[in-house]
Amino acid sequence: MKKVNASYFDGHSAHQQAVALQFAHGMLQVQGAELIREEALVNVRITAKLGSAPRLLYFPDGAHCEVNNHTDFEAMLQEAGLRPQSILSRLEDSWRHALGATVLSIAVFTGLFYWGLPWMAERAAARVPASVTLTIDSHFLDTIDNGLMQTSKLSKARQKLLRKRFDGLRDANGLQRHHLEFRSSKAIGANAFALPGGTVVVTDQLVKLAKNDEEVMAVLAHELGHVSERHPMRQLLQSSVVGLAMTWYLGDISSLLAAAPTLLLETSYSRDFERRADRYAANMLRMNGISPALLADMLEKLESSHFGHDARRGAKQGAKENQELFSRIGNYLSTHPDTAERIRNLRSEGAGK
Amino acid sequence: MNYQEQRFSFTGKGSEYFRIWIVNLFLTILSLGIYSAWAKVRRMQYFYRNTRLNESSFDYHGTAIAILKGRLIGIGLFAAYYAALQIVPILGLAIGLGIAVIMPFLLVASFKFRLYNSSYRGLRFGFTGTIKDAYMVFLVLPISTFFTLYLLAPFTHQRIKAYQHNNSRFGQSAFSFNAEVGGFYKVYFIALIQFLLIMGLFSAGVFYLLKDNMGAVPKEQMIVMIVIAVYAVLIIAGLLVVPYFISSIQNLVWNHTSLGANRFSSSLSTGGLAWIIFSNFIFIVLTLGLFKPFADIRMARYRMEHMAMLPAGNIDEYIASEQQKIGAAGTETAEVFDIDIGF
Repeated sequence: MKKVNASYFDGHSAHQQAVALQFAHGMLQVQGAELIREEALVNVRITAKLGSAPRLLYFPDGAHCEVNNHTDFEAMLQEAGLRPQSILSRLEDSWRHALGATVLSIAVFTGLFYWGLPWMAERAAARVPASVTLTIDSHFLDTIDNGLMQTSKLSKARQKLLRKRFDGLRDANGLQRHHLEFRSSKAIGANAFALPGGTVVVTDQLVKLAKNDEEVMAVLAHELGHVSERHPMRQLLQSSVVGLAMTWYLGDISSLLAAAPTLLLETSYSRDFERRADRYAANMLRMNGISPALLADMLEKLESSHFGHDARRGAKQGAKENQELFSRIGNYLSTHPDTAERIRNLRSEGAGK
Repeated sequence: MNYQEQRFSFTGKGSEYFRIWIVNLFLTILSLGIYSAWAKVRRMQYFYRNTRLNESSFDYHGTAIAILKGRLIGIGLFAAYYAALQIVPILGLAIGLGIAVIMPFLLVASFKFRLYNSSYRGLRFGFTGTIKDAYMVFLVLPISTFFTLYLLAPFTHQRIKAYQHNNSRFGQSAFSFNAEVGGFYKVYFIALIQFLLIMGLFSAGVFYLLKDNMGAVPKEQMIVMIVIAVYAVLIIAGLLVVPYFISSIQNLVWNHTSLGANRFSSSLSTGGLAWIIFSNFIFIVLTLGLFKPFADIRMARYRMEHMAMLPAGNIDEYIASEQQKIGAAGTETAEVFDIDIGF
């Protein structure tokens, strides 16, 4: 019969005794210099193998043995007709199973990120009460009014006129609650964006960039496309979940470090969101007697206003290298990817009118 | 009689723990998260059993069912809070306040669970702190800290550690804690100075680089640049100041903790910890998270191998005490609300 060396602790004191273990006739025998003990094997709880961590044998009275010699102990269990390893330990021991689990886990997480999360965000966004989305809008406006943007310098009459045209825009299914806000911002330049509660913000710079009000409406129709499909709320939910998961996952390292990657991941709407908003805008504009090509014109102007004039100004001042670097960063952070393709699609929609 | 310093050691291996981690992660996914309680038990057991002192290992005795119950309670509370916040914001606020009020109670429950379920050489640890004292250190002091513009933060931190360590037991023997408030103020002060220095140097550097073409940079790019600069400062500070803070506090706490007449020593270094945090972060990002189990093992090994016990007597002489079973609800609820309970 095989014997294995172990340490014995009686459960009453921290005293450690060197012992030898042996199985015989369904009994576990413990033998040490000052100790002989026998216990029926059925009463001994033998912990499952867990890597190369010591295996422990617990007795009913609280005493236990610690075994570090795995090979001999497993051989001894085998000899006594006991299973040396649980199924779980065998799975954990094999690289083949670990590799399989890795591949499958990655597949599940990828699926969750690309399909599961957007699907859940879409359903959840539809159930968020209006009171909550409106609160988010007013918080957001408070934040941007704190330095990033200033009150609009457009005349009251001009604002009223644009608002009237905006409120007059119709789509096929009836619009969600929406509302237009004017702001001025040299920092952000010509821009327009939609918030979860249906608030659409447009900058003076964009109004000035447009050659007529119809071009402004073309951009606003695109933002209404985001509103109608609840893109801002969906985006907010998705990035919150990703942020929460990142913080939880990297939590031990540092929550500061966890914030950085989410910032980069979540600055832009997906291409799909932009395409859908474009399609919505094209339909809406046609219904309201405006050519979708005007949105394409505006996209072109917006693009060159954001990058072109910066580069020109930079070259004049003789700081070209810096400019190129910042342009590239700006491009990376751009919220409208694949603009050329979108312009082409809108032009063909316009031609079909 | 002279006893030699006993170093803690950690025998866990990254490649081995990776397999355990990924198999349990996959089972958690298959069971829609329910198995995570069993996975946690397995994780705790792996880390405890691989932590050794004087040739014997520690063990973790928490049961998956107790953990699962606690998680369900935690998720229930969290869901109630969110639902209330959506429907009646004021009610959500009231529940939030209620959670703050029961938090000390939950923390005590979680300390009891964590310590009672830890053992070394067959003897259980224990926690005997009172709820009344918990309200003082986890509610009254943090609120006072907030209203004194965080000037009280080091004092509160010292009181929390004193509460935790003075009320911990191993068998029938009590831990005791004698670090002074001054030590905590010193660590906080130096960390603050480091942070301000990094910020100052960084802003000076950026200003120097840009002073010739300040006007050339358009406002829009300025904003992008400021955002990037703020993150850069935070990351640099996170990699230098945070390791200094963690290592100094852990050293301060453990160098002033004793178990009966036995003392402990902790010798973490800022540089060593900074390297582990930095390299772990880089590898986790490069492997899209798969390095996490290796990172956990490296961190545990570094922390354990810089801890030692300075025995004044024979470790064999400790004896067990009678204790009662404690519910897991406390520890798991506290975990859902993301409160780190280290001991």
